[in-house]
Amino acid sequence: MRKRYAMAVDTARCVGCSACVIACKTENALPSGGFRDWIAEETRGAFPALSMEIRSERCNQCSRPSCVSACPTGASHVADGGVVGVTRAKCTGCKACVASCPYGARYVHPEGFVDKCTFCLHRVREGKLPACVETCPTRALTFGDLADPASRVAELTRSRRVKVLQPGSGNEPNVFFLT
Amino acid sequence: MSGAVEFVKGSARLVVSGGRAYKAWVAALLALVAIGGIAYVHQVRTGLIATNMRDQVSWAFYIGNFTFLVGVAAAAVLLVIPAYVYQWKPIKEVVVLGELLAISALTMCLLFILVDMGRPDRFLHIMPLLGTPNWPRSLLAWDALVLNTYLLLNAALVLYLLFKTYRGEHYDRRIFLPLVLLSIPVSISTHTVTAFLYNGMAARPYWNASILAPRFIASAFCSGPAVMIILFQILRRTNRFPIKDEAIWKIAELMSYAMFLNLFLLGAELFKEYYSATEHLRYTQYFWGGLDGHRALVPYAWLSLTCSVAAFVLFLIPRTRRNYVTLNLGCLLIWAGVYIEKGMGLIIPGFTPDTLGEIYEYTPTATEWAIAAGVFGVGFLVFTALVKIAVPILVGTFRAPERVAAPGPSSAGIPAQ
Ligand code: SF4
Ligand code: SF4
Repeated sequence: MRKRYAMAVDTARCVGCSACVIACKTENALPSGGFRDWIAEETRGAFPALSMEIRSERCNQCSRPSCVSACPTGASHVADGGVVGVTRAKCTGCKACVASCPYGARYVHPEGFVDKCTFCLHRVREGKLPACVETCPTRALTFGDLADPASRVAELTRSRRVKVLQPGSGNEPNVFFLT
Repeated sequence: MSGAVEFVKGSARLVVSGGRAYKAWVAALLALVAIGGIAYVHQVRTGLIATNMRDQVSWAFYIGNFTFLVGVAAAAVLLVIPAYVYQWKPIKEVVVLGELLAISALTMCLLFILVDMGRPDRFLHIMPLLGTPNWPRSLLAWDALVLNTYLLLNAALVLYLLFKTYRGEHYDRRIFLPLVLLSIPVSISTHTVTAFLYNGMAARPYWNASILAPRFIASAFCSGPAVMIILFQILRRTNRFPIKDEAIWKIAELMSYAMFLNLFLLGAELFKEYYSATEHLRYTQYFWGGLDGHRALVPYAWLSLTCSVAAFVLFLIPRTRRNYVTLNLGCLLIWAGVYIEKGMGLIIPGFTPDTLGEIYEYTPTATEWAIAAGVFGVGFLVFTALVKIAVPILVGTFRAPERVAAPGPSSAGIPAQ
């Protein structure tokens, strides 16, 4: 069975502490101004009847990634478990992928190439969890293989109410938000 | 091939010699190139942070100029069609000059892409054979392919024709004609593929309209011929270049139809956006009316519309079309109108607001202006040099030495056929 790595983000647990953002920055030695994940806060209603949704967002590792289609050199590619990676040595910095991503998941590295979340594939290959998942103090993030029905991520997306961002994008994202 | 050496030497002599006005023009262009070169060195040292492009607006001024110039390149060659249909006299000259303009515009296009890249040193990865292009999936790989094909095709055609004429020989219609005919679909496809590059991005609703490619072609037919009209007038004055008034007026008339089509398509798009008023309206709103107090592009939007409408009227009315003052004014207006519409007016609203809903107001930095000026300098320099070589060949004053000595050379002013 082919692996399909996915993430479930529990918006009811997330408190927006940004620990995931910091963990990613350290783990992947991101340059100043570059982020592979970020916190989105959406408020609804008017004071005092307010509610807020907090989401830890990142690349959705889409099953139909428009960025991979757009890339003229094949630098953006689909790697293990459906994770979308960028081969730095082949990236021309043309930014076609940035324009084609519906989720704003990519940024231009100061050295000219484009960078994005990899689900910490270098860790996953060693049997570890992505840095953000490991760090999250409220355990709002769950990483796993969606193709395995017994995995925690598969179970969560089955049993809880789930949404994806911009479901109409045609990209079939693999980051699921539990509401 | 001793002829080739002579040809190159003669051409070089033509390029470096010229009157006061010519020298001043070339000096001005060289100054622009120098400014652009210095600015580009600065950009390479500091990286793309020297521009105002950010992750929100990742394509901007450079890509806008690129898009506009692809239109110029495409339409220059399309003039072959009316030239053929209406049987303008110097059809061969119209073809050659159109192709020279296409070559220069394409040079600028490729340079604008290069300066926009974060790692221009890796551009070879996009090239067929040399690199690993993601073809046929990536529209950018397609674009690189068609643009380079078009450039090579034009260069081959022009070189063949000019060299033959220079040697006083007849060109072979069996080679020439198919190539000219081929260049027409290729010119249309360069522009269509460029439109599809934006059009295909579902992530950017502002571009994701099927009307984009037809709009591209319509506006290209306005901006490309505008250059040709001005060039024809200059050549008529400085060389004995036999192009008739009627041909110029006809081009202007065709431009007014193209502009009408362009404005009509724009109207159709505005109607759809404002009447259905979905969440996708925000991008159009940002351009035409501003969004949440961000209005950087609004004056340009209306300026562009005003220029385009004014040029349309000038070219539509026979009296203003035939008056050279209003005709040239119309050319400038159309150039300005399309430059804004197809440049910043197309690219920036595509990214504003960005996919996360943030608004980052982009305006070019001084470095970007300087680099763009440098690229235009290179393009016009290429065009000037090419025209300077081609025209004497076409009018018969620049010939292979053995031909000049030969009895009965074609009289100047009438192209050797
Ligand atoms: S979220 Fe964007 S960058 Fe990530 S796979 Fe999807 S399209 Fe590509
Ligand atoms: S910026 Fe790099 S990864 Fe993105 S499309 Fe261009 S070459 Fe591919």
